[in-house]
Amino acid sequence: MDASHLVEVSGLILGSLLLLLVGGVWIGAALLICGFIAMQFAPAGIQLGAALATNAWSGAASWSLAALPLFIWMGEILFRTRLSDEMFRGLAPWLNWLPGRLVHVNVLGCGLFGAVSGSSAATTAMVAKITLPELKKRGYNERIALGSLAGAGTLGFLVPPSIPMIVYAVAANVSIIQMFMAGLLPAVIVMGLYMGAIVVWHLMNKDQSPPPEPRMPFRAKLKETLNLIPLALLILTVFGALLLGWATATECAAWGVLGALVIALWQRALTWKTFIDSIMGATRMTSMIMLILTGAGYMSIAMGYTGIPNALASWVDSFQLSPYALIAVLTIMYVLLGCAIDGLSMIVLTTVVVLPMIQQAGFDLVWFGIFLVLMVEMAQITPPVGFNLFVLQTMSGRDSLTVAKAALPFFFLLLAAVAVLTIFPDIVLVLPRMVYPG
Amino acid sequence: MSTADPRHSVFPEWLRKGLDALYLGAGYLGGIFLVAIFVIMLSLSAGRPLGIDIPAGDDFTAWCMAACAFLALAHTFRSAELIRMGLVIDRLNGRARHIVEIACTAIGTVAVSYFAWYAIDMTWTSWKFNDVSQGVIAVKLWIPQMAMAVGLALLALAFADELIHVLFGGSPRYEKPPVSNDEELIERIMESGA
Amino acid sequence: QTAWVLPSAYPPANYHVENLMQFAKDVDTASGGKLKITVHPNAALFKAPDIKRAVQTGQAQAGEVLISLHENENPVFGIDVVPFLATSFEQSKKLYEASKPAIEKALDEQGLKLLYATPWPPQGVFTKKDVNSVADLKGLKWRAYNVGTSRIAELVGAQPVTVQAAELPQALATGVVESLMTSSATGVDSKIWESLTHYYDTQAWIPKNITFVNKAAFEALDPEIQKAVTDSAAAAEARGWELGVEKTKAYMETLQKNGMQVVEPSEELKKGLADVGAKLTEDWLKKAGADGAAILDAYKKM
Ligand code: NA
Ligand code: NA
Repeated sequence: MDASHLVEVSGLILGSLLLLLVGGVWIGAALLICGFIAMQFAPAGIQLGAALATNAWSGAASWSLAALPLFIWMGEILFRTRLSDEMFRGLAPWLNWLPGRLVHVNVLGCGLFGAVSGSSAATTAMVAKITLPELKKRGYNERIALGSLAGAGTLGFLVPPSIPMIVYAVAANVSIIQMFMAGLLPAVIVMGLYMGAIVVWHLMNKDQSPPPEPRMPFRAKLKETLNLIPLALLILTVFGALLLGWATATECAAWGVLGALVIALWQRALTWKTFIDSIMGATRMTSMIMLILTGAGYMSIAMGYTGIPNALASWVDSFQLSPYALIAVLTIMYVLLGCAIDGLSMIVLTTVVVLPMIQQAGFDLVWFGIFLVLMVEMAQITPPVGFNLFVLQTMSGRDSLTVAKAALPFFFLLLAAVAVLTIFPDIVLVLPRMVYPG
Repeated sequence: MSTADPRHSVFPEWLRKGLDALYLGAGYLGGIFLVAIFVIMLSLSAGRPLGIDIPAGDDFTAWCMAACAFLALAHTFRSAELIRMGLVIDRLNGRARHIVEIACTAIGTVAVSYFAWYAIDMTWTSWKFNDVSQGVIAVKLWIPQMAMAVGLALLALAFADELIHVLFGGSPRYEKPPVSNDEELIERIMESGA
Repeated sequence: QTAWVLPSAYPPANYHVENLMQFAKDVDTASGGKLKITVHPNAALFKAPDIKRAVQTGQAQAGEVLISLHENENPVFGIDVVPFLATSFEQSKKLYEASKPAIEKALDEQGLKLLYATPWPPQGVFTKKDVNSVADLKGLKWRAYNVGTSRIAELVGAQPVTVQAAELPQALATGVVESLMTSSATGVDSKIWESLTHYYDTQAWIPKNITFVNKAAFEALDPEIQKAVTDSAAAAEARGWELGVEKTKAYMETLQKNGMQVVEPSEELKKGLADVGAKLTEDWLKKAGADGAAILDAYKKM
């Protein structure tokens, strides 16, 4: 395919996709239709419908994908427990010495919750429902409280388990486990950046911080810390099962569900009704994601038949952009996209076209997955469509502009994290390579 | 749209109730397969130190995954949890909105029916070819594939059902009513996977 | 000009895929550019289990697959994974020649035409302890991934464990799996020396990939282009067998270089495994019936 024809055809496909999506057609259906359009440019004689069915079946009937509904279910169960309240009480006594004090609970709490929830909005909501009122009561600056929550809530995506990581892993045909492992160190870096920024802000605005909490005797502190035990045990169960050789990486999800059920039963937070609700909630979300994955899978093989992505990659390659320039261009594109569309759409809309370019430029697909997850995180806190902003807007009663402004510094910190990971890609890749050679 | 009664139905009562029960029933069946994934995976994992193995447990898990996701599609659609972008359409009202909804539902019906048709064709071909699974236990593939065919057929039915409903002036039942309180809004955002 | 799509499940660097690429290039040259085959490696179009079906139903014109994946469908497809039936490349080639007419017939009934078959490295036993007889395999967590490996576990008293290929490196590292039977190639690909110590070169069986084409698509070609395809296929087959021998040597050296003990199995172990093999051949014959017996007779006479 020559360059002009190539641009025409890919423009037609992506244009139709955008039109259908903006027009309110369900994401999965829109992708199916665009896959069908792309298939018209495949070599003659290919059975389009049969290819769709085969691809959908082998994509859905997948052992490793079965971790997805289990992780969602685990989140659904935990949301019905008192875990976030306990988390606050367990962390708070230890942060008094640090400039910024209890604001750090937002960051640490979201990091911990990120480890049991695959969603950013859920992580934000679970932590915010406790910390927002507590911080307000103590007279903390609302702007820093809201901003840090918005930013840290996105850790729900970067700390495994993570829904966008699973969607990306399927779309890019990389290992879900490698993606999960790859997120851990970047999450530590993001948390470090956030906490550093909170410290700096408080050192510069000493008058805006409430007086320290009354000193608590060490024993009392320890006693409060016991509140962290259920959450710690849950995280230990999931990772312990993996490291001790009880479970493969996918099976960890089942241990997570078991742990969540035990906590919920222990806290008497589970009735038959909430139990069934948690199952059905998880099932519906699985269905929803599966339709999108199926559509994305079809579109991706349709593009594979046409050879467009590879041709497009060579075309972009002909501009001789340096890898850093390519990443810079993609970052700008994703930030703009991320203002208006949600993270899952962003992934499925772009991976087909972008991945071959990325490979051509010599980037690792797992590394790019983390880059993309960070872009999705940024999209969560940019207006007009930013789901973390929506959650906090609702929970704080502030208007969206206030929340967005409060979140802006944290948006730039995420951008800084992207720069760090681009310059030192090994931070992303060292863990997945260690756990998962080959 | 605001004038339409959401409960207004062009179908007789028994058919309406039957269809809704069908979607819901398949949804519950999907939920059962979710629990089955949990049980099989945990047995595989916990069984190892005890010397117990579930032959082809990985295959069975994979099939439960497909069954869980596809069987619950129609129920998910009717619970307004299949996601779409509201950026533009949420700003439309009255006649313009109604026309857009008809167009969306019609496009959705066509796309899903096409998909469902080929899922059924695939299952039928597996039966005709006598295709079997490739793991430790040879299972006839049309059996697990049935879940996908049935789930997609039900989704196509639910879409056609909605199309007729909206064409005859009903307000879409795949759209949730506007949120009445904060908790609901947050719950909705979480349901979108964001 | 005709365009064909040929999916394969293996990465571009794999020798089977390199061979396929060369095959596609040969066909292009020999047909004077009238038939262009685009190889889609890495399971980008179809995953391994779906490739045969995809070619059968016209979703791709040609494909490459590990034929024993389809042993549950027809015992003839599983003849090259009957343990200890053919334990060297020469024997394996003979077994292939003996079974080729039956395989071609089975494929033909499914609307497929066999182009060529090429071997993987032979299968050995990886463990992290000394294994001098089959009794030493007793109780080990043994990866069971098909009928044969599951039956071996049963016969030697090992504990069968279900783990997917994608999770194998991690399962080995954490002790979910303690022993398995696979090729030196898989051992190298999954850096198996990071978790296991011994490789017993039992040459239990030599699995094969087949490359095949949709019969209707093939018959639609002009006779001279058909000839270009079959000639290139013959060349690819010869190349593939040479590559198999060559790569096996390289893989074994890599295992050794990384500190793995590559061991010739002891007489006692060989004897025990041969007994297991005899039982499994019996199993196979039961499934394959008279046709199977005829293949084995022909093979033994070669
Ligand atoms: Na998470
Ligand atoms: Na945004």
